[in-house]
Formats: sequence, structure tokens, C-alpha cells
Amino acid sequence: MDRHVYLVLWCGVFGAWALVGYGRSLAGMTRAQRTVRATGRIERVDEPRHGSSPSDGIAVVVSFQDPSSGQEFTVTNEGDRGERISVAWTGREIGVHYPRGRPHAFRFTNHLSEGGRGLGWANFALFLVYAGLVAVAAIDWGWPWALLGFGGPWALSGLYHLPGNIRDRNRRIDQLAAMVAVSGRVVAVLKSVTVDSNDGHTLTNLMPVVTFTTLDGREVTAYCESGIPDPARSRGLNLTIHYAPDDPALFVLDVEAERRSWKRDMVVNVVGVLVVAAAAVVGVVAL
Amino acid sequence: MTITTSAAPPPTHNRPVALARGFLTGGVTGASLAAVVVGIVTENEPLIVGGACLLAVYVLIRHLAGLPRRAREAAVPPHLALAMIESLEAVGGETSDIPVKFDLTVAPDDAPAYRVEFTQDINLADLPDYRPRGILVVQYPPDRPLKVRIVKRPTPDWEERAASARLDSAPGPARASDPWEGCGATLVGFLGLLLGAALVVLLFRANLFDQDDSDTARPSVSSSSTSSSSTTTVSSASGTVALGPGQSFLDEGRLGRSVAALATGVDKQRALTVVVQERLLTVVFAPTGTQAASRLDLDSLPYDRVPALVKEATTTLGVGSPRTWQLTADRLTGAVALRISVTGSEGTAYLEADGQGKVVRRVPAGG
Repeated sequence: MDRHVYLVLWCGVFGAWALVGYGRSLAGMTRAQRTVRATGRIERVDEPRHGSSPSDGIAVVVSFQDPSSGQEFTVTNEGDRGERISVAWTGREIGVHYPRGRPHAFRFTNHLSEGGRGLGWANFALFLVYAGLVAVAAIDWGWPWALLGFGGPWALSGLYHLPGNIRDRNRRIDQLAAMVAVSGRVVAVLKSVTVDSNDGHTLTNLMPVVTFTTLDGREVTAYCESGIPDPARSRGLNLTIHYAPDDPALFVLDVEAERRSWKRDMVVNVVGVLVVAAAAVVGVVAL
Repeated sequence: MTITTSAAPPPTHNRPVALARGFLTGGVTGASLAAVVVGIVTENEPLIVGGACLLAVYVLIRHLAGLPRRAREAAVPPHLALAMIESLEAVGGETSDIPVKFDLTVAPDDAPAYRVEFTQDINLADLPDYRPRGILVVQYPPDRPLKVRIVKRPTPDWEERAASARLDSAPGPARASDPWEGCGATLVGFLGLLLGAALVVLLFRANLFDQDDSDTARPSVSSSSTSSSSTTTVSSASGTVALGPGQSFLDEGRLGRSVAALATGVDKQRALTVVVQERLLTVVFAPTGTQAASRLDLDSLPYDRVPALVKEATTTLGVGSPRTWQLTADRLTGAVALRISVTGSEGTAYLEADGQGKVVRRVPAGG
């Protein structure tokens, strides 16, 4: 069959998928739109056991209220319950969402944001349609169309979001300057051992757990994913923790390293946008 | 708190239907994969697309058919119950979460207690928490009480109940959790996979074997033609004509006709060398676009004289039987030259002729 027949099939299938997705969103029927969002409160935090698995997150007891019925629920974070809870203190507010009428199928989120319109899959299907068109254009008319087709929209999107990204990184750098230093301690090191199915090698992932008390008396337990040089021997280690006073979930061990990291991130962001834009320009010139 | 227990067989789900579904899934998967492979081998694009689409449509149908059941199951919260460990056994594993085989007495609040056996991954650090006679909290779907999972982080009220409860063992033996989702279903699925693949291969066996035959017979040249009497093969660099048994290029007019047939559609002034043996003719061409001074014009060679020259070389130069001969025509020395070499029991003799077929030199055998 001619490749254009495949293109028509490709565009037809994914175009229909996108249309169904947009239709469902307009009718308010997507999963995100039918999801109930509540604010949960951590009632109890259990100290992690040294050597246990970090995969389920810090063991907490959370209570939340169903907005429609007003019924109270008390739950724990066992198994596949959405985002892993890696920073916890009694009284912390945490996002809980579940399909309408099924509060037992709850999931946690670390952010209390709204859910959006559920257009992720529809947009992805539309992207596949576009990618198919660009691929066939590049085969038929030459490689510059591939550069222009993929680089152009990506560069425009990058340029559109660049000011916001720079503002966000500046805000985070300012946040680092306002952090408060307290003493903390590594209370446990969690361990996860997996075996690579390809070569049989054993991979060990270590996760130190730190606790610290904020100036206003909140006792925070948190996974410390970076910043401790020798995690295996870190149990009992005393540390200085820098945390954001308005949200102790934002904490670092080395403020200067974090500041350098955010500045580097900003440079990478700008260079990335420039590279993609240059690719698009090369495509236009080579047409 | 003591809960009185008694044994009762809990309901199970429909095994024959599960097996049939496994067989169908295996069959469709096997047929789809075989269709894609056969399609690639036989270069049958509709078969490749059809195989891929069959699998996609089957997955879609299974997904849609399962929607009501999944929605029904998801709408009902799992049942929670207390359970007592009768026995447990770690069954291997090199990771930090190791599979442990549990034998439990499950004591639902509103139903008789029962024994169940299942395997669940437990972290090594948490393993000391699980001891025989220990009380746990378990959960299961309301309609599938054998599908038991241990709740590792129960809520505070269930934690309290478990801490204060005492349970009696239910009589055994323990029922396995989902036995048909194990070995039997795998075997039936594999059988379906093999049958599905075999069906597709059988349906397209004619195309497959034809393809194999033609592949082995196809030479790697630009064109080839075969008749009952000879095989002609032409590429940009050379052309050959091989005669069938009982024929010879010394037959009247055959050499001229063979060269003409071989040179059809080729620049006849591009030849470098013509080599003729009893049943094999080879013409070597100069590369396209080059201007070699030693080119031959194929039309100018004295083909009619060749049988007489070969006869003269084989009969007058003292070469005994059995004899083989070879004629080479080229312009390496400037003028067209035909060299006939004859090899026999007494050695090799040579005869040279000019572009008109007139003999210019004779070298007898041993001379």
C-alpha cells in the first residue's frame, strides 16, 4: 500500500480519538472533570522502620471529608495511592481525589491544585496526527520539513513559556534566601533492592529519612533524596536543615548548591529553546 | 474479643469461562503475530496491517467488554476482615520484597471463617511482624473472598481490633487463591497461541513456500531470462549465456544469435572482452561513461568464422583427445585479435586470427 494510505489511516484513527477526547471534555465527562477533589489532613505520622522499603512513602493516617455528602473518612497510604508522600507532619494538608461516588478509590497528591479538563490523551492523539503529517512531508519533500515541522512549534512553545519559567526559577532562588535553618537528624535509612531482569545485577536504592522540628513546633519527617554524601552510614547523623517557613515540604541541606542548580537549570532552559529555534530556522533556510 | 469461626466454602469465579478467555487471548495473539511475520516474509502488506489490527481490535473489545465488570467492582469498596496466620513460608526472591506464601484463617464479621492460601510480597525488614498465630487485617473484593491481600497499614480502628482480637483456626485444607490464574491458564493460553499461529501459517503455506523457492532461484543481477535451451544473464558489468545440454556455440549461427540476444538494450561498442567456450559465452563490458581505447564493437566480430577456426585449432595443431577449447576476443594490442586455445592430452596449442577471422599465427602443442 502507498504510504499516503497509511497516513490517512493513521490520521483517521488518532484524529477520531482526539475528537472523542475533546467531545468528552466539552460534555464534562472526562475522568479529570468527574474527579472529586478534597483536602485531607495528616492525623498521624509513623516513624519509618530502618531498612524497610521507601516505595509506599511515609506511613500516615489521613482524614478527609467528602464535599457532597459531608461524610468523614480516615484512611492510610498503603499500596498504589497516587503520589508518594515523602514529607509529612501532623496537620499537613494534602490533596485527595477520587472518582465521584467512590471515596474508597482515593489517591493522594502533594499539591492542592485543580484537576484541569482532562485533555491529556486528546492532545497526545492530536500530536500523533501532526507527527504523521510532518513525517510524510519530510519523506516526500525533504528533511528540512522535519526540522521545521518539529522544531517550529516546539520553539514557539518554548519561547511562550520562557518568561514564566525564568520567573519561576527566580522565585525559587528568592525562596532559598528566605529559608530558616534548624537542626535535624537522620532517623532511618530505607532500602530497596531490585534485580535487573536483563543482566541479573542487583540494584540497591538507599533513602535516608530525616526529622526536624520547625520554629513553630511542627515535627517534620521527610525522605532526603539528595545531599547526604554516604547514605548507607548516615543513620544517626545530625544535620542542618534549611526549610521554607510557609511550607516545610520545601527543604534543602545545602542552600548554595541548590542556588547553583537552579541557575544552571535556567541556563539549560534558555539554551534548549535557542537550539530548537535554530533547528527550525535551519529548516526554513534549507527549504 | 473472640470471634467464633466455622468452615464454609466461599464462592469462586467461573473457571471454564476464564480458561476459554485465556485460550482465545492466546489464539488471537498467536494469529496476529504469525500474520505479521508471514506478511513480512511474503511481502504481503495487507496481511501485516490485518495482523496488527486484529490484535488492536481484540484488545479494544476485551477492554470494552470488561468495562461494566470493572465499574461494578470498582464501585464497591473491598471488604475488610481480621485474619490469623496459620503458617507462612518465604518462597525465594533476591530483592528486598520477597514473596511469602501465607496460610490464613479469614474471619469476616458477617460470614463464616475460612482458610485461604496465597502469596504476597513482604519487605524483609517487616518480615518479623508476621508470625504464626499473629492477627492481621486483610481485604478482598466482596464477590471474590479468596482474592485476599494483607493490609500492611490498617487504619487506627482496625489496628486496635487486630491488637485485641483472638481467633480460632478454621478447619483446612486452605483453598488456593485463584488457582486457575496460575499454571492452567498459562498452559491453555500457550496452547491457544500455538494453534492461532499454526492456523495462519497453514492458511498462507502456499505463498510462504513459493516465496522460498523463488528466493533461492533468484540471482543477484539486474536481469535474467531462462528458456528451455539457454540461460542469459546480463548486468552492467558483464553478460553470460549458458547453453543447455547437447548444444554448442559451434552450431551454425548460434554464436552470432546469442551475442545479439545478450547485447539487446546494451551499448554494443562498450564490450572489452568476449570469451567463448563450448557451452558458455561471456562478454565483459567497460564501465558506463569511460572511454577505453581497447573497446570492441560486438557487431564487427567474425562469428561465422569461429566454428572453422576452432575446428582448425583442434585438428591441425597436434592436440589429442579429450580436448577443451576457449576463444578470447579483445583489442588489448590495438587491433581486434581472436585467440583460440585448445588443451588436450599433449598440452595446449594456440591459434590467433585477426578481426576478419584470418589466421595470423599458430602455436602447436608442445611448441
